[in-house]
Amino acid sequence: MYANPVAYVFSCIFVLIAHFAMLSNIWFNGNYTEVRDVAVLGAAVIILDIAYFAVILAFKQMSYALDFLLILIMGMSVIFQSCFGHVKLDVKHYITCIVCLAACKAGYMLCRDHKLLQDKKLYIYGAIGVMVLITLVFTSAENMWIEIGSFTLQPSEFIKPLFVLACATSIADQQKRHKILIFNVVYENIALFCIMAVICLVQVKSHDYGSLPTFLSIYAMGFLLRICYPKAKFSKKKLFGVIAVLVVFLLIGLKYAPDYVQHRLHVDIWSDKTGDGYQQSQALIGVANGGWFGVGPGKGFLANVFAYDNDIVFATVSEEWGLLYALMMVLVIIIITAVPLINPTRSYFHGSMSACVCAAFIVQMALNIFGSCNLIPFTGVTIPFISTGGSSLLVSGLMIGMLMAGQSPVFKEHKQKKQEDPEPAWRWKE
Amino acid sequence: MDSLNLILCAVAAAALDICILVLIITAYREKKSTKKNWHQVSSDMELAEQDKTYELGCDEVLIGRHASADIRLPDLSVSRYHAMLTVANGVWTIKDIGSKSGIFVNGELTREAVLHENDMIKLGNRRLLFRKRRDSRVR
Repeated sequence: MYANPVAYVFSCIFVLIAHFAMLSNIWFNGNYTEVRDVAVLGAAVIILDIAYFAVILAFKQMSYALDFLLILIMGMSVIFQSCFGHVKLDVKHYITCIVCLAACKAGYMLCRDHKLLQDKKLYIYGAIGVMVLITLVFTSAENMWIEIGSFTLQPSEFIKPLFVLACATSIADQQKRHKILIFNVVYENIALFCIMAVICLVQVKSHDYGSLPTFLSIYAMGFLLRICYPKAKFSKKKLFGVIAVLVVFLLIGLKYAPDYVQHRLHVDIWSDKTGDGYQQSQALIGVANGGWFGVGPGKGFLANVFAYDNDIVFATVSEEWGLLYALMMVLVIIIITAVPLINPTRSYFHGSMSACVCAAFIVQMALNIFGSCNLIPFTGVTIPFISTGGSSLLVSGLMIGMLMAGQSPVFKEHKQKKQEDPEPAWRWKE
Repeated sequence: MDSLNLILCAVAAAALDICILVLIITAYREKKSTKKNWHQVSSDMELAEQDKTYELGCDEVLIGRHASADIRLPDLSVSRYHAMLTVANGVWTIKDIGSKSGIFVNGELTREAVLHENDMIKLGNRRLLFRKRRDSRVR
């Protein structure tokens, strides 16, 4: 049974209040033609909240903080996406959010027993292989998505949680060293490096350079935890060596990057406002237009700019809801990644998994926000939970499920067979 | 923007702020309860030597001669990283992580073994008894 029922009730109430305050803002300040649209949006968000609060109780977790943060951000996401341009419930995004919540619970169920996952390590490698093949066969540089009805799937996105699992499952095998010539090597580390290299090649072939930093961050986190395992094996020399190699690779990559990437690196968005700098310049104008408190839900002009709901979603939210609210949205995601620091995980497996997931979330968010604000080249990476996109939301859900697994791992009592009391040796036998 | 709209925006932002604060407090409260739960579920076992006891406070306990080991046995017959104790589903397992002298559980050389109460573990010249914690035994 959950040990903090009072905290549970208060968390539920305050999540509902936060969503209700947003809906009130739409009611008085939003751009809508019919009151029914606002009522439908409000009912959808509140019903989703209450249903989720009820469903999570069935999972009997030790910690629900991540669940509350997730439903808070998902409700915000539904409200934001439904308000862009005009207030009306975005049904497609709403369904995707429900799928994301379901994926989160699936991720939790899958990852909470680390011993089981470590035994099934080969299946994870196999799944990565299958996803890489699907990416190679069914997608191209022109079209990275597979269309299923009105939904589209990006297979390369699904490699992320599998890669996180591969990083985490192999952490326990760091002591299994094998001698090859004069080197002591760990097979799992070589396998992981090969997987990383293959993924990078596939991403380069698909011209999906935006996802590369996310995969590299997951690998870097996995690698860092490897050189720190066991605890005091952390070596500053190794760490500086790794950073130096990464910098060299980065410089080489930038020098030999394709022309359009080079152009993005050096483009002045204000002198090329109708070309490559269009989205970024419009995004910055939108942020400035919104100010601290925004122009009002549904009243922004960024909804007319291409990719307003995923690539430059931070700027669109800033314009309509204000920079203050957009920054708090970012804060919620940062707190989601900080929960494993508040309540540390109790195994290397869950620790590595949480670290890799947090690295992926932070890097993705940084690429999107800094890209929108012209601090780095525009990459087109999505913000977890906020941007539209079925694959992105599904994968984000799975990954937050992994974080939850670290918070509520399986520690069942060892069921020992009842042994009959041994007969005392001194008993008289007739 | 008129003052009413400004107030509404500020109220929405404040509500979100308070909600975030409440959720952080919830996370801290859960930290306490999960720690308690962990102690109940798995930490009622301990390793005991002649005059010392070692608590098993997390699900992966490193035993070795190295200063970083969770259970440090400063004895040359014990490797720096000798053995790893892990718990899953309430079952404690001991695993050899590349030691020179190996692990003996109840006199049998093993690479990996599931531990039961009152098992005798021998690492190098050191003998450790896997037993219930004193508190739970007294109760």
